[in-house]
Formats: sequence, C-alpha cells, structure tokens
Amino acid sequence: MEVTVWSGWIAGLAMGLFVILHFWLIGKPAGCSTGYGNICGLICKKVPYYHKGEFTNNKGNFKLWFIVGIPLGGLISALSAPEPWHLSFDMGMYNAVLPQTDLVKALWLILGGALLGFGARLAGACTTGHALAGSSMLNPPSLLAAAIFFISALGTTQLLFNF
Amino acid sequence: MNSMQNISLLQRFLTFTKVYRTNIYGVFLGALFGYIMSHAGATTYDYHAQLFLFEDFQLLKVFGTAVVVSVIGVFLLKKFQVSAYNTGAPIDFVTKPYKQGLIAGAFLFGIGWGMTAACPGSIPVMISEGKIGALFTLAGLLLGTIAYGILQSTINPDGKSTKK
Repeated sequence: MEVTVWSGWIAGLAMGLFVILHFWLIGKPAGCSTGYGNICGLICKKVPYYHKGEFTNNKGNFKLWFIVGIPLGGLISALSAPEPWHLSFDMGMYNAVLPQTDLVKALWLILGGALLGFGARLAGACTTGHALAGSSMLNPPSLLAAAIFFISALGTTQLLFNF
Repeated sequence: MNSMQNISLLQRFLTFTKVYRTNIYGVFLGALFGYIMSHAGATTYDYHAQLFLFEDFQLLKVFGTAVVVSVIGVFLLKKFQVSAYNTGAPIDFVTKPYKQGLIAGAFLFGIGWGMTAACPGSIPVMISEGKIGALFTLAGLLLGTIAYGILQSTINPDGKSTKK
C-alpha cells in the first residue's frame, strides 16, 4: 500500500538524527541484521554460532527488541496513510519483471531473502550496520561493503529490467 | 488506602521501566527507525527500482543526507566526549572489522537487495504496511541467516563468532 513519503532531504535528516540518537541513548552503533542472528538463536537452540560472541545477550537483548519495535513504527506510518490499511501482493514496477505466478514469485522472494540473510552475516552487517552506522564513523570496511551493496544491487536491477 | 495502592503501583511501574529500560529503548528506537524508513520511501518497491535504473534518486538523497548529518553528529559526540544516556559510560564507537568474506557477502547481499527491493531493516516495516511479499523475504532472510550459522558451527565449531 502507498504510504506518505517525505522529501528525501527531510527523511535523510531524520535518519541521520536517528543514528546520532542511537549512539547517545545506547552507546553503541545501530544495526539490524545481528538481531536476526538472535532470532535464529531463539529458533535454533542447536546452532552454537548464534549463542556466542556478538549474539550473547549480556545487557538485555537490545537488538532483538529493536527488531520487535520496527514494525510498530511502520504500522503508525501505514495507518496515517491516505488509503486504509490493507494486505497486498502488489510489487509496483517489479510486477512486470518478476515471475508471474504467485508461487514462483514467493520462491523468488525467499531466494532473494536468503541471499540477504547469508550475505549480511558473511559481510558482518547489513545496510544499517555497514552503510548507515559504519559510514557515520567513516569505517573503511563498512564504506567498502556499502559500495559493493550498491554496485551489486545496481547490476542485479539492471539485469532484471533490461535483459 | 487507594492512594497508597496507586503509589505502590507507580513504584512497581518505575522499577519495571528501570530494570527493562534497555529493552524499552530498543522498542522505542526500533519504532522510530521503522517510522522513518516508511516515510523515507525505503519500503516502497518502486524507489528501489527507480534508483538503480537512474530514474529517481529519492533513496540516494535520503542516504546521502543521513550520512552527512550522522558524520557531523559522530564528530561532535566524540569532540565533546558525550557519554551514553543508558549506561553513563563513554559511547563505544565500535567499528565492524574487515573480515574474510566481506566482499563476497556484500556482493550476495546486493543481489538479494536487487531481487527483493528490501533489506533486513525494511522487511519488518513492509510487513506492517501489509506488503505480503515481505513475509516471503523474511522467511528467506531467516533461512539464509540460519544457513550461515549452521555452516560456521560446522566448519569452525571452536572458533569465536565475529568480534565486536
């Protein structure tokens, strides 16, 4: 469904202030994908990787609760949209290029999601941890990861729409 | 008697918020993040396609402005040695290290981004907006994350996971 979209400059300002607020309030950089590691730790008790290192919950499970909070904000935004809240499998411009049957489209999205999850862990962080929080500290590995995220997504989108 | 009960309830509420304050901050910051992501257009499929087809630069404006603002903010927080509100301790500007697989991982992540027009931060927002597609992306995301954990636990059972 369509939500109200702010000017890019205003939304960017808000997002930048969010990154700063996160540093000040919690004392750590913002991040999303590590919290999914915590969720996987809860689902799979037998995967030791998600029960040690950065996935241990020493000071309350902040990252997990952060992910719980995300849809609340999205819901507030969606409920204040001009059109009433409704479910939709409409994917805008992607309708024309993605598989046409719902089943294959779903499998396509599961595959893409798996690449996001596996890739984020292999790279150490996702668009939030590397591209946003990492860039705010001008951390070279994060800037490199962010650049590759963009280039790779650019190439994929070009292939998808033009070939 | 009634006011005594109210005071005791208030005390219990205050104790609760103090004990669980980190988790409460988590929900609050997550909600703020989700709200901004939604209004930034990061959950709207077409902005992703248009960005990578050079038709509309909404998301690049958002990202560019966010980086400029946050770089200045981090500089100021460091300069004035501001301590964290939650802990009172100095802010930990911990950076993700370069690790083996960063380039390959970032490459795979980008393909997933191009295929789904989503990223781990936008998926929960898209679900709350009623976008059914994001449910499948979330399922894939969890599968991919679990697969990485199983792989790591198998090939490197005694090793530590990524350093903080």
